[in-house]
Amino acid sequence: MMKIVHAAIAVALSSTSASAQDLPQQQNPWFTDAQSELQQRLLRTPNTNRAKNIILLVADGNGVGTNLATRIWQGQQNGMLGEENVLSYEAFPHLALSKTYNTNAQTPDSSGTATAMMAGIKTKAGVVGVNDTVARGDCQAAEAGKVSSIVDIVADAGKSVGIVSTARITHATPASAYAFSADRNYEDDSQLPEGCTAPDIASQLFDRLESGVIDVVLGGGRRHFLPDDVIDDENKTGRRTDGRNLIEEAATLGARYVWNDETFAALDLSAGEPILGLFESSHMKYEFDRTGEPSLAEMVMAAITVLQNDEDGFFLQVEAGRVDHANHDGNLHRTVTDGVAFHEAVAKAVELTNTEDTLIIATADHEHAIAFNGYCGRGNPITGLCYGIDNAGTTHTGVPELADDGLPYTVVGYLNGAGSVIKQEAIDETSHAIERLHAAGQEMSGVNVASADDGNMDDTWKITFAGQVAAAREELAKTETGDDAELAEGEGLWIGSRTALTQEEATDPDYIQQALIPRSSETHSGEDVAIYAQGPWAHLFDGTVEQNFIFHVMHHAATVE
Amino acid sequence: MRQRSSKAVLDLDRRGLMLAVISGTVSLRTLARESASNDIVLLRDLYNKDLSFSDRALSSEGKRLSVTGYMAPPLKAESRFFVLTKRPMAVCPFCESDADWPDDILAVYTKRIVKVLPYNAKMTVNGVLQLGGVKDAENGFYSKVRLTEATYRRGA
Repeated sequence: MMKIVHAAIAVALSSTSASAQDLPQQQNPWFTDAQSELQQRLLRTPNTNRAKNIILLVADGNGVGTNLATRIWQGQQNGMLGEENVLSYEAFPHLALSKTYNTNAQTPDSSGTATAMMAGIKTKAGVVGVNDTVARGDCQAAEAGKVSSIVDIVADAGKSVGIVSTARITHATPASAYAFSADRNYEDDSQLPEGCTAPDIASQLFDRLESGVIDVVLGGGRRHFLPDDVIDDENKTGRRTDGRNLIEEAATLGARYVWNDETFAALDLSAGEPILGLFESSHMKYEFDRTGEPSLAEMVMAAITVLQNDEDGFFLQVEAGRVDHANHDGNLHRTVTDGVAFHEAVAKAVELTNTEDTLIIATADHEHAIAFNGYCGRGNPITGLCYGIDNAGTTHTGVPELADDGLPYTVVGYLNGAGSVIKQEAIDETSHAIERLHAAGQEMSGVNVASADDGNMDDTWKITFAGQVAAAREELAKTETGDDAELAEGEGLWIGSRTALTQEEATDPDYIQQALIPRSSETHSGEDVAIYAQGPWAHLFDGTVEQNFIFHVMHHAATVE
Repeated sequence: MRQRSSKAVLDLDRRGLMLAVISGTVSLRTLARESASNDIVLLRDLYNKDLSFSDRALSSEGKRLSVTGYMAPPLKAESRFFVLTKRPMAVCPFCESDADWPDDILAVYTKRIVKVLPYNAKMTVNGVLQLGGVKDAENGFYSKVRLTEATYRRGA
């Protein structure tokens, strides 16, 4: 039926504009907005210029779902209901869905996905810059499986290269630009297995600085560039065991080293010498916690300004590396605030470049086990409780939706993670927990009587507590009869139920969203991510593509005659 | 901020509390203890944005206070020491070769041998606040802020 209606409208609109005016909804703002969108798109022509510059921006772990949360959050921060918001890259004209799996993993990891984007082939999870023949951790096999990245290709064409990340600059995504490694964890020599003669990741970055392939490096991960007996400017020790101080070595080459917001701000961006900015011993701070460090957008601004000194053009890889980490923490607040930092970084890249000669691609490497509950009303605070839909109005009712256990829940949850409602209780704690539930049950049976006069007490509450008490009794019976086969020696029982939750608690910046399966770190998921693009050959991003297709568009755009 | 939070908690508990009062199981002393929970501070309240100690921390130095957070999996069994973090310590086995401590942690020295709580269970620690960098002679752990002679319980 819907299809027929759509077809009828399409016919009406495509014949003459006069016939469109016959529709009763034609003055509706949704209708007129979509009409002007249509008119704009009819004017589009493919940009088939050769790309002088290419900027690939990756928000790690920012799949379509995570991105929705950031879109709504950023809109709400700007006074909108939120859902109607458009993030900087969402305004790009071209989009494809990216299939992110690794050759041996339905659930991808960032090093396999980054290699796909940078080198044009899929490979195994956990390896960087090598093909699928290399098993993770097989150090000796790495050399033979080595692949070239887009960085090698554009550097050969005389372009400058920049790498920016809020994660360690030796972490999976940035490493894929300049390194090959049988394991993404070989970030410095101390992490190489015994007998492994392949170079560690940080030393490969240094080699690329030395050979002139890479010109701008801004991110975290200072410890992988310093010996383990050296204390850095922030009082943290290095990790290298080969005695090399790669920061000093880089300075000897003429590189300008910066390590905090002040030294960063003092950089002369018109000068040609390479820049090595390492702002943290490990990852840079979450945007929400950021102090003493530049923002992602500020780093992008500096990188583009420096790279634009090269008349041949440049390639810049930018990673918002900590959207992923906040998702791993199950902490939506930092996920969306780092998501906004990514949005601002893309906006900065757009502002500083020309769409005629610069291909800009904004994407993610993979999604997370994030999910969205219903049925929440319009403008529902995205980190908060799910409020009902107002049938007569627009904005949510402000009344929390209740689950069958009588308790409210947040819009966003995770399928697994630290926020799990199931916790491991030590054996004696378990019996205490059962006693507590038992006591609660007894109290509640009294309460049920009293509640006859209490309008606050509804049936749902009674059912919840009745259920908890029944479960507790069941567990207690097991313990009493010695039927404790489920209790491994020295371990506790994994039990739990949801607890009461207020909007104040849910919207606290440190709140961990509820999850089902207990895992200390929430996991990636295999869901698709979006590829947003503008500039030369961006129109090739269309439909559902394999993730490694990204390289091929960049390559074509950079080399087409 | 804390006041609003406490109010929310009280609102939430009101139903149970009211009914408990009806059934005579809660004394006025218990009610007084409820309102004293205003003294619980969040770990982040001890730091300013730039990670320097907050006025709250400076004015509480040497005093007993209660701080909420999560127990990081202890470094060693049968010890009287653990680290309190504001969010559960998450380590992604795919992404990290080792765990990094956040900057804003609290070292806790307990009165008794630590009985481990689930890493994802919210807890409250009560102890004497000590400020200033100290390296633990026994386990080598460097801390900028500590709670000593501490007791703890599950729940916020």
